[in-house]
Amino acid sequence: MFVCVCFRCESCVEMLFVRGSGNCVQCNTPLRKSNFRVQLFEDPAIDKEVEIRKKVLKIYNKREFDFSTLKEYNDYLEQVEDIVFNLTNNIDVERTKQMMEQYQRDNKDIIQRNKAKLTREQEELEELLLQDHQDSEQRRLETLQEEQRHLQAKRINKQALLDELEISKLPAAVLLAQHKDRASQLETQIEKQKQNVKPANIFSTGIMMGQTVSLASVSRVEEVLYVYQLLCIDTYGPPVLELDQLGRLGYLNHVRTASPQDQAGGYTSGLACHRAIQDAFSGLFPS
Amino acid sequence: MKLNIDGLLVYFPYDYIYPEQYSYMLELKRTLDAKGHGVLEMPSGTGKTISLLSLIVAYQKAYPLEVTKLVYCSRTVPEIEKVVEELRKLMDYYTKQTEAKNDFLALALSSRKNLCIHPEVSALRFGKEVDGKCHSLTASYIRAQHHSNPSQPVCQFYEEFDAVGRQVPIPPGIYNLDDLKDFGRRKGWCPYFLARYAILHANIVVYSYHYLLDPKIADLVSKELAKKSVVVFDEAHNIDNVCIDSMSVNITRRTLDRCQTNVETLQNTISRIKETDAAKLREEYSRLVEGLKEANVARETDMYLSNPVLPDEILQEAVPGSIRTAEHFVGFMKRFLEYLKARLRIHHVVQESAPQFLKDIYEKVCIDRKPLRFCAERLRSLLRTLEIADIADFSAITLISHFATLVSTYSKGFTIIIEPFEDRTPTIANPVLHFSCMDPSIAIKPVFGRFQSVIITSGTLSPLDIYPRILDFRPVTVASFTMTLARTCLCPLIVGRGNDQVAMTSKFETREDFAVIRNYGNLLLEMSAIVPDGIVAFFTSYIYMENIVASWYEQGILENIQRNKLIFIETQDAAETSMALEKYQEACENGRGAILLSVARGKVSEGIDFVHHYGRAVIMFGVPYVYTQSRILKARLEYLRDQFQIRENDFLTFDAMRHAAQCVGRAIRGKTDYGLMIFADKRYARADKRGKLPRWIQEHLTDGSLNLTIDETVQLGKHFLRQMAQPFRQEDQLGLSLLTLEQLQSEDMLQKIAQIAQQA
Repeated sequence: MFVCVCFRCESCVEMLFVRGSGNCVQCNTPLRKSNFRVQLFEDPAIDKEVEIRKKVLKIYNKREFDFSTLKEYNDYLEQVEDIVFNLTNNIDVERTKQMMEQYQRDNKDIIQRNKAKLTREQEELEELLLQDHQDSEQRRLETLQEEQRHLQAKRINKQALLDELEISKLPAAVLLAQHKDRASQLETQIEKQKQNVKPANIFSTGIMMGQTVSLASVSRVEEVLYVYQLLCIDTYGPPVLELDQLGRLGYLNHVRTASPQDQAGGYTSGLACHRAIQDAFSGLFPS
Repeated sequence: MKLNIDGLLVYFPYDYIYPEQYSYMLELKRTLDAKGHGVLEMPSGTGKTISLLSLIVAYQKAYPLEVTKLVYCSRTVPEIEKVVEELRKLMDYYTKQTEAKNDFLALALSSRKNLCIHPEVSALRFGKEVDGKCHSLTASYIRAQHHSNPSQPVCQFYEEFDAVGRQVPIPPGIYNLDDLKDFGRRKGWCPYFLARYAILHANIVVYSYHYLLDPKIADLVSKELAKKSVVVFDEAHNIDNVCIDSMSVNITRRTLDRCQTNVETLQNTISRIKETDAAKLREEYSRLVEGLKEANVARETDMYLSNPVLPDEILQEAVPGSIRTAEHFVGFMKRFLEYLKARLRIHHVVQESAPQFLKDIYEKVCIDRKPLRFCAERLRSLLRTLEIADIADFSAITLISHFATLVSTYSKGFTIIIEPFEDRTPTIANPVLHFSCMDPSIAIKPVFGRFQSVIITSGTLSPLDIYPRILDFRPVTVASFTMTLARTCLCPLIVGRGNDQVAMTSKFETREDFAVIRNYGNLLLEMSAIVPDGIVAFFTSYIYMENIVASWYEQGILENIQRNKLIFIETQDAAETSMALEKYQEACENGRGAILLSVARGKVSEGIDFVHHYGRAVIMFGVPYVYTQSRILKARLEYLRDQFQIRENDFLTFDAMRHAAQCVGRAIRGKTDYGLMIFADKRYARADKRGKLPRWIQEHLTDGSLNLTIDETVQLGKHFLRQMAQPFRQEDQLGLSLLTLEQLQSEDMLQKIAQIAQQA
């Protein structure tokens, strides 16, 4: 399944594959001339590795959302890396190839499905690039339009002033002041007019077209609901009388009566008395 | 004297105080109270440093729980030492006044090169060598080997420090670099590691910007600094450039070649270790499966300053499976390296964004974004596991890994520019990949985010509002202070025309114009006749200076000038320049007087002070714009326009004016000093340029000194110099620009002081 990954110079290729195809001199794999590529990197081993990697990644194209946990995904990534490593360094080539074929058979559906999809990170990148592009385009248009509008508005305004100075009977100072006002109004108008160039390939929800949206339901958070329980305080002392009983039992006779000013704020002498009794009764019994 | 600053008792170690210092401290106090950030501009020579120190120390003493630490960042080693000496003065005053034992610990921190006391290591010349050698003596596995094999050399100072030094806290006091070395020698401890360990509980730390802004260093040194620290950036007018430099990466062909050797070494080491000690690799592997949880926990519990090279997402995830094992990772790096090499083999300039780069890299060598993002962290782990002794050798691959992480993490704020040759030598192929940061806020964001107050201060920060915009933060106080003067000791003049009425300008179109060059020459000639002692002249660039000086020589102007004064020239070579400087000062001492021709943005313009007779006049020939044709600058300007709505012209003018102000400010280093400031370009007279000068210069620019001819300049200059040369005593200043405590407390003085600070 692999094209031979031996290297030779351009003229040799020309010579060896005059007919367009033939066997590799080093490893005897049948080859086509059109399959030869220009070496991109200084280290030929890297070219070879990248070549292999691209092929492997075509098969092993699972995405992060195909796994339930991050750890599994990372293990998978490592496995892919192992395969690439083995193939480039000629370790266990046969076995690895078998493994790959096995995998390919097993996961046909997923591979097919994922072929068209980009990884999430790549999508992000694409989005950023697009945005950059749009932004710069928009800026360019804006500045251009703005300049034009500006020039035009100025010209019209100037002409109007001249006309008025010619015709109108108002004093020149007033006219000039009016002119100034108008000029500033124009400025603000121009500011407002700046329109947005709407990007075309975004759904109304703001999601990019063609982006994968995770349809998995949001995981439910299991929580125990809060149940109200009556507050119960142990004071380690005799029970304290209720607030409304204090007056009846004559406790309030010994307390300073509240002045009208105090009562305006909602204070009654019972409150203070009640608090004092609470204070006095708590902590009397040994716990 | 003891001052009452807004209810805070401040000990000030001098008997007199400038009104603007008082005002400065008031603003500073407000910033600290609000626990916010501040931008403060105060002219050089008015005692910024001591005001800062005395107020913050007083604040620390009064509210030890609110502000636990002061981190003072300066630019150069001499400046750091100056700060510590001021601090020592302050502390001596404290002990004298309160008679209590001082429990303050303050120290300076610098690189190993400045602190090492190991006899062999400290003899090395370059910082990198010292670092590498030190690492090879102190790395943990080297020391472990030393246990089993005592012939393995280790650093006895570090050993001693590690054995004893960590338990015994360094006694309170003020430690300058030399003090640290002395202390280290006496105890036999390594001063560098001692200082690095001690900054964690020191009250005041003085060090260089890079320890906080460069993510690679900050991660090592500053990440555990307490949240409740006050951070001060002094001389911060160039802070945006420092931030940008710390996040940018330049990759040349040589880097890649060195990287190649690194990768090979890695591969060999891995295969060797695999045979001898496979368990180690397995252990690393299982740790990576678990992910970088440790670092994540530490960051969540808010212990560390976050590192922009180590983005948050990484910490929450495990290392991707494709680079988990060592071999795979090396293969990955190889592919990345080859890809970069292929990219550098181009014949035209390419500029692209990070997403474009990532897309291309996926198509060419199948590298995903995610493993790239983990690259720096993964490499670090590998180097640790392999126990590689000389980290300095691996700087190339570390650089590449940083690049990988940055490019995959930030889709905005960076640009990639690949140039096949330098602009100056378009025939020689020298491909460079610039990965340049355009957004200074990325590097400084963690600092603003973490520390409760960050103060940015300098003599030239005008216009003040641009710094918060480009650094992307919200200051609570933004103020500019003027210099109160008993006599107008600075005289800014804008010379726009020669005596022949030809406009003087360094504009590109008229650069080669003979008339302009001649007029510039005449200006210098006339000034050399009337100004006593030293004159410093600044040009916009080295090339421009060379051209002008050459044609001055041809026209015989140079000869005429040399009749009046000696001429010295700054060159790109540091040793030559310092030689020229030394001779220049000698000539000034002699009374013969001299002229120093130097370049804005050069070494002289940034760090050298020309006090008193060393600089009686500064002439700024032309407006020091940056080289606008560079692609990096263009990209940055575009970014500023799109992201921060700062127009290109505004930024360029701002940048040029801050450098011009920096240059002319070299001459005035105090209130008794005086000097002419001559701006020789008619463009300075325009409102947009003039308005961007610091307020303390603008104040003295009257309408009458805007568009002068050389004759008029000479007249004004003569008059000014004669006036200034009269004896000037301290009593003349008292009550006006120098206050005693009683004068300070008077009602109308306080009112006057309130006007000094101008809120922007």
